[in-house]
Amino acid sequence: MSSVRSVWAWVGAALGLSVLLACAAHAGDLLVTAAKPDQLFVIDAAKRSVRTEHHIAGTEGQIFTTLISPDQRTAYLLVDKMERIVGVDLASGREVFRADLSTPVERVKDFFAMALTPDGRELLVYELPTELKPSEYVVKEPRFAVYRTDAGVAAKPVRSFAAPRRIHMVLMRPNGRSFYALGFDLYEYDLKSGKLLETRGIQKWAMADHSQPDLLAFWPVTEPTGVFTSPVYSDLKQGDKTVPMTALMSLDLKSGALSYADFEPLSALIFSTVLSPDKSHAYGVYSTLSSIDVANHRLDKRVSLDHTFYAVNVSSDGREVYTGGTNCDVGFYDAASLEKKAILKLPGCSDQTLSTLRVIHDR
Amino acid sequence: MSELKPTNHKAELLLDAVAEGHVAEVLAMETVAGCATTFDPGWEVDPFGGVASLCQPMEADLYGCSDPCWWPAQVPDTMGTYPGWDAGKPSAPGDWRDLDSVFPKK
Repeated sequence: MSSVRSVWAWVGAALGLSVLLACAAHAGDLLVTAAKPDQLFVIDAAKRSVRTEHHIAGTEGQIFTTLISPDQRTAYLLVDKMERIVGVDLASGREVFRADLSTPVERVKDFFAMALTPDGRELLVYELPTELKPSEYVVKEPRFAVYRTDAGVAAKPVRSFAAPRRIHMVLMRPNGRSFYALGFDLYEYDLKSGKLLETRGIQKWAMADHSQPDLLAFWPVTEPTGVFTSPVYSDLKQGDKTVPMTALMSLDLKSGALSYADFEPLSALIFSTVLSPDKSHAYGVYSTLSSIDVANHRLDKRVSLDHTFYAVNVSSDGREVYTGGTNCDVGFYDAASLEKKAILKLPGCSDQTLSTLRVIHDR
Repeated sequence: MSELKPTNHKAELLLDAVAEGHVAEVLAMETVAGCATTFDPGWEVDPFGGVASLCQPMEADLYGCSDPCWWPAQVPDTMGTYPGWDAGKPSAPGDWRDLDSVFPKK
């Protein structure tokens, strides 16, 4: 627990205002999540209730990645077996953008990876095309495609350029001039020219005495810090033995700083993490909820969850951790103690599966 | 590798790579795109060689695997081969009794 949190917790208890303080702590936070087959939810975090529910046309069973526009009015959703991206007005549910990636002669999948520019005017999509010939399928080279978000419901790419294979996440830098692509390594591309600017190690991470690492990164959550984090697994060589280790990968989108640091011998799986607003802790989920002391590279706390969750996020003030994905419930946990505070069952109780759990702000 | 026997041509190529010293070119899984054959533990065994660290319960992970075609040998692939497998069954914990077995089309 940080000293700041301790002081506020003591003051609140002393004044008998702990309930009010807890409510005020995350007033204004809204969560956005999706569930099968077509549901998009906006959740009032303070009230633990669903504020808005939309049914999205043409999802074909699942909403994958969710991006939120910079003005927080529009959600961009990867749907239709990863072959379509729709933009939906969060207030009304009206479709304001649609890009069908495939054509009758070319099937195109976007495996989770897409990003918006800081001004919200362009949408970057990682495309995996397959040419559908009468008697054969021809696997074509992957590419990055750029769409204008004001193109309406028949958007076509305004430019595209070559991309490496096995990209599973793209993250736009706040300068709007370049973006990161995560795959076997970390690539940075110029958004206008498509020029590869830099390649840094993921598989070639050069951690002394460590094996080639493995990571799973499908949830492009960088709020509230602008820093993407992910657990990374590798084997640490210690004499004749190897010890499986869990590290935290941290990528600051503004500065470009990339770091890896082991924080525990592998003792529990973590699927995704989020960094607290003060960057002191990272929170990770799977079948447990973990709190990681970032500065001291150690596991702070770990509690069991009711079931496996894929997705995690944190309140704007850092006091609560939210869990989502997999089944139909969203969890609210105290960030300091990891104590469960509430569980919200989504209407209809459909699975969220791989959907992204986003935090936006009430306007 | 000596404890594994190849069962198809692709697996034989892996043994050839070992024999020819190219095994370093066989990269460990790091988020291989969907519908790829992977040996990533998950459905049968966890990274610790047991089952305690598999998703709990398995229904929490069922559509998370079928929707992105993660383990198409173990879970029906709703992205390509069995797109309607989950139709009308949006909750794996609630609808698992209605999820049918699938068989390759002849």
